[in-house]
Amino acid sequence: MRPIALEQARVYIVVAAYNEAASIGDVVRELREQYAHVIVVDDGSVDVTGDLALAAGATVLTHLINRGQGAALQTGLTYALNQGADYIVTFDADGQHDVADIARLLAPIAEGTVHAALGSRFLERRTRMPLGRRVTLFLAVLFMRFTARARLTDAHNGLRAFSRHAAEHIDLQLDRMAHASEIVDQIVSSGLPYVEVPVQVRYTDYSLRKGQRNTAAFRVAFDYLMARLLR
Amino acid sequence: MNLFQSLVVSLFVVLSLLTLSAGLRGTVRKRIVGFWLAVWVVGSVAVVWPHTTAMVAHSLGIGRGADLLLYSTALVMIVAFFYVYTRFRRVERQLTLLVRRLAIQNAELSGHGGIPSSQPPRRSE
Repeated sequence: MRPIALEQARVYIVVAAYNEAASIGDVVRELREQYAHVIVVDDGSVDVTGDLALAAGATVLTHLINRGQGAALQTGLTYALNQGADYIVTFDADGQHDVADIARLLAPIAEGTVHAALGSRFLERRTRMPLGRRVTLFLAVLFMRFTARARLTDAHNGLRAFSRHAAEHIDLQLDRMAHASEIVDQIVSSGLPYVEVPVQVRYTDYSLRKGQRNTAAFRVAFDYLMARLLR
Repeated sequence: MNLFQSLVVSLFVVLSLLTLSAGLRGTVRKRIVGFWLAVWVVGSVAVVWPHTTAMVAHSLGIGRGADLLLYSTALVMIVAFFYVYTRFRRVERQLTLLVRRLAIQNAELSGHGGIPSSQPPRRSE
């Protein structure tokens, strides 16, 4: 498959958001400055996340009830594919990612060397983060190395880019946070070439409060292993 | 029969009748009816002649009838947990597919400038 040059490509940014009223407006505005198609999947928020995203210029898909980040991302991916997206980027709603990193992820895909680019906070020592988070993520990487045989430095980064072809190989069944492992799994088993790209992650008080607790890793591992067992 | 035995046996008789009538009305499958009838009968026998559980336990190499009961309860609980868990997962999955379908359909109907499509979410095994 011939890659499509970035300038002509239909790039869709998918943002899964659950009660992110504090950050979603700014995130969408920043994205819209550079990308025409920003899709926010409002995952059953009880606040005004959906309205703010719409006002900021996003296409808003609404989950009537909360189904979890994995479910929301898959909704966005499916919609973007239906709309004819060439490249799809997933981006977190809490403002921890840098919009400038998107181009860095898309570059190797547009060059045709890979079909998926996964953001990593560990390839370069750019990210400052609390020690507990660093340890948890390190264990997650080891876990992925054993279960998915994926040699990654950062298994759970929300910033990722896919070619249309790669996105068609993704079918997230794990609705909650274990989807991060699932995406890696499906990309690895699709046999499509992928690459890790260093990205910046801003750990703000807000993103840490909104984000996952380190102990949530146990739940994630349980969901993931049960799904593999019962598949 | 002592009071406990007569209470339990009459309860099991009532439950057997309910099971049978459900089977006859066709609301419960035959295999399931058979399973529950067996449970009520075995339960009654164990309550009226307690030494029977001890006999079965001994033949399995378990010391006491009460221990046999304990082990089999634990086993049944594990199986039941697994059954409910897989059921639950299936329902969750269906719920997600439904919510997704609605979200995508609503977005496409409200015409955000995209190509309308009635395609369901892909590859739902």
